[in-house]
Amino acid sequence: MTDRPASSRRTRRTRYAARGLAVVLAASGLAACGGGDDGIPVVNLYGGAAAAGFDKIIADCNAQADGAYRIVGNLLPSDADGQREQLVRRLAAKDDGLDLIGMDVVWTAEFAEAGWVREITGAAKEAAEEGTLEPTIATAEWKDKLYGIPKHTNVQLLWYRKSLVPTPPTTWDEMIDMAKQLKADGKPYEIGFTGSQYEGYVVGFNTILSSYGGTLVNDESTQATVDGKTVDALALIKKFATSGVASASLSNSQEPEVFAQMQQGRAAFILNWPYVLSAMRDAGSGDPKSQEVYDDLGYAPYPSVVEGETPKVTLGGMNYGISTYSKHPRETLDAAMCLRTPEHQLQTALEAGDPPVAEAVYTEPEFTEAYPQGQDMLTELQVASSRPISPLYQNISTIVSTTLSPPAQIQPEQTARQLKSSIQDALEGKGILP
Amino acid sequence: MTTQTLPPGDAEVEPEGVRIARQRHSDGQKAERRLGLLLCAPAVFIMLAVTAYPIVYAFWLSLNRADLRTPDANEFIGLDNYVTVLSSPIWWTAFGVTMFLTVLGAAFELVLGMVLAIVMHRTIIGRGLVRTSALVPYAIVTVVAAFSWRFAWTQDLGWLAGDNAPLTGMWSSLWIILLAEVWKTVPFMALLLMAGLALVPEDLLKAASMDGASTWQRFWKITIPLMKPAILVALLFRTLDAFRVFDNIFVLTSGANNTSSVSMIGYNNLIGGLNLGIGSTISVLIFLSIAIIAFIFIKLFGAAAPGEGEKR
Amino acid sequence: MSTAVETPRRKLAWSGANLIVLVYAFIPVLWIVSLSLKDTGTLNDGKFWPSSPTRDSYSQIFNNPDFLRALVNSIGICAIATVCALVFGTMAAYAIARLEFPGKRLIVGVSLLIAMFPQIALVTPLFKIETAIGIFDTWLGLIIPYITFALPLAIYTLSAFFREIPWELEKAAKMDGATPFQAFRRVITPLAMPGVFTTAILVFIACWNDFLFALSLTSTSRSRTVPAALSYFQGATTFEVPTGPIAAAAVVITVPIVIFVLFFQRRIVAGLTSGAVKG
Repeated sequence: MTDRPASSRRTRRTRYAARGLAVVLAASGLAACGGGDDGIPVVNLYGGAAAAGFDKIIADCNAQADGAYRIVGNLLPSDADGQREQLVRRLAAKDDGLDLIGMDVVWTAEFAEAGWVREITGAAKEAAEEGTLEPTIATAEWKDKLYGIPKHTNVQLLWYRKSLVPTPPTTWDEMIDMAKQLKADGKPYEIGFTGSQYEGYVVGFNTILSSYGGTLVNDESTQATVDGKTVDALALIKKFATSGVASASLSNSQEPEVFAQMQQGRAAFILNWPYVLSAMRDAGSGDPKSQEVYDDLGYAPYPSVVEGETPKVTLGGMNYGISTYSKHPRETLDAAMCLRTPEHQLQTALEAGDPPVAEAVYTEPEFTEAYPQGQDMLTELQVASSRPISPLYQNISTIVSTTLSPPAQIQPEQTARQLKSSIQDALEGKGILP
Repeated sequence: MTTQTLPPGDAEVEPEGVRIARQRHSDGQKAERRLGLLLCAPAVFIMLAVTAYPIVYAFWLSLNRADLRTPDANEFIGLDNYVTVLSSPIWWTAFGVTMFLTVLGAAFELVLGMVLAIVMHRTIIGRGLVRTSALVPYAIVTVVAAFSWRFAWTQDLGWLAGDNAPLTGMWSSLWIILLAEVWKTVPFMALLLMAGLALVPEDLLKAASMDGASTWQRFWKITIPLMKPAILVALLFRTLDAFRVFDNIFVLTSGANNTSSVSMIGYNNLIGGLNLGIGSTISVLIFLSIAIIAFIFIKLFGAAAPGEGEKR
Repeated sequence: MSTAVETPRRKLAWSGANLIVLVYAFIPVLWIVSLSLKDTGTLNDGKFWPSSPTRDSYSQIFNNPDFLRALVNSIGICAIATVCALVFGTMAAYAIARLEFPGKRLIVGVSLLIAMFPQIALVTPLFKIETAIGIFDTWLGLIIPYITFALPLAIYTLSAFFREIPWELEKAAKMDGATPFQAFRRVITPLAMPGVFTTAILVFIACWNDFLFALSLTSTSRSRTVPAALSYFQGATTFEVPTGPIAAAAVVITVPIVIFVLFFQRRIVAGLTSGAVKG
């Protein structure tokens, strides 16, 4: 350990540095071509490429393209915030390495306003909208122009234990009363709701607010529209959170915790996405207790806030955007259309659990077999609501989830006032985000 | 520290020798300067090449209204961003949380780290096993460790929570965050302190022991003073990191119940809100807070700080 | 304490202390191991041990080419970055601890300032620089920032240790005709080993666990490291978190670190030998 290591380290380092440099040069040379080595334009897909079985769909489209383009699926982090962070960084730097972007439905306005994605017009617009559920198209629009091609969607449902609840509740009040009764009877009674300080809480709040007919911002995203309906929605969440039928972990519950509430037999009701059915089936295959819950699992439309009125459930899902900086917009558009044909939507629904946006798929026998809850989903989807459409959605969402946390400490009037001023500040670019 | 080895009185006895020595000394000084700069050059070059522009740019952005989504409205606004942040209760709540975690965290980690370091250094059996396993917590990827804590503390899912939901209250959450932080980083402290312990000459301890010094006295009078530089480095770097606590809070509570740290606020504004102006301002303020803490530490430790007061 | 005779009682006492350390280190780790062995049915059962352990999570990650590639990237990138940071850091720390030259305190100060700045604010400008010069999504593009952010810690740790070393030895070597550089290599380097290997372990782990740069400065599996790859793991559907595979991956990627530490901890010797102290 005297003189050898220092010098041999040296040479090794130079060698590595040289090799690193060679890799860099080779890579930049490749990238400069903008195409594969065979001259076929490459469509780089970011978003949704890692979903189960999606590689088969990509391969299928590449075969169909027959040399017109080649889709390459690139990975993004599995959480939406991580995805947005990467995409925004690269789009803001006008990176031409992204062609087709799987956008979460809440990013449309932001990406469109920043000029990162192209408007979809003409024949492409018609093709994208044909047979597509109307509310899902709305998530891809900003200022009456279409910026995304709906790819898949999602809505939450009410999941309940059939043995405990003979007829599922249709309103929140009814559900809370039923849960209280079950609690009094010493039976599993909890209502699972995603009340943690994160996006999922905003989804739940938005559903309740929309069902009251309220909104958070106007169409142009210039004014906060917090009003009496917001107060009603806040009062309902407060009532639920303090009624004794929510989980003690409500303010720390995300989808996995809510799922576990049902799986462990503590909950009589949970509000969660359609994946619950397949996930509970999987869990049941190795665990008798979960199997019991699975056998007893019922589903129904999301409860409403007013008797007799259809609830407006918040949409999830993804739209395809075409990067402004793409060198092959034509091919990218074709690729997007191929990836979201009704057949491929069905395949995605079956393998990855992402519900289709094409209405026709909901009547396919294969779909109805895998999704017995499909009709309830369709009912919700036809009148579903969007989260606030605004280029500043991320700020609004952060403000909502923070201001409303924890759910039990909401003071409806006061919280609404706070919400209004914080959102207005955000829209005007003032203040700091919590 | 090592000056005592020069035989006193040498200089007076041999004036001739002094002159020659001085001559050599001045030549040597030049060579020494050159060598010093040469040895530092690669490190300084790479550090500046990577960070100079980003840091200066962040300072500049903090003086501007700079929102990625409204580039047209961007303009120089002086210290307005600082006024906005410093007048916001959000910043001060997060600052309080961060200070709580930093001060308590560093204190616990220093004490536990020292205990662990002594065990790792002194144990007479299974030293390799103990040293290696003690470092495992530090080696686990923070986000995964945080997830496992979250799981363990969630009502009914985790073995630690039982029937309670401790992650839904501010103080219980903060203690859990603190536990996760301390568990993870005590090994960092311990490793640095152990290397410091390795520098304490056995002879000195043995001699003191023969002079009748108790274990406790030897620890305070010999070990601790000799370890001062190691303690400073461990404490300094640990505090820098502790003040920027992010991962554990992000995973454990996502900042609910007023458990946001300053770094989380910075992240929300910079990456989430794409408000580069406010986000950079928060970053600069974090930087200044840490600089003040570091300055206090270095003053407290005085000559034990690197580059300060040492002589051959 | 130091004049230890290995009596059975002392052995017992140390066994007790060791046991406490092992419990501290391993209980939470065992919980992660247990999560990695649970199946989807029992994942949420709240029990510490898996009731029906399964290797599914492990076979899943070992059949994931992206994960294996990330493992290779992590090992390569972190090894190179650690070696470079150590070489540069040792040189600078030696100069700072031993030599008088102008700008020394400035260098010490600046390197600390770099360590203090929130990295999150540096990511986007760094991304821009790297795309401009074409090292985005390459090994080099990660190695360089890793060296940079490891250097302050390396310089501080090493210079703190260098100044505690008995420099009379170096003087003796110089009197024997060695140049300052030879004195540094032959005499001081071996004495500095505890500091050097401590630093090596810390730098390697910091690099191994970095998430921010790994996520922001890569875009394909060509250079993506393990912590970033973990965040790319997909659940069966969008809202399911792949807890099992993530836990399994965390366990797997801890193994190289354990080997690394096992190898290097021997070099952090207990105290300097008495011969070395006498100048």
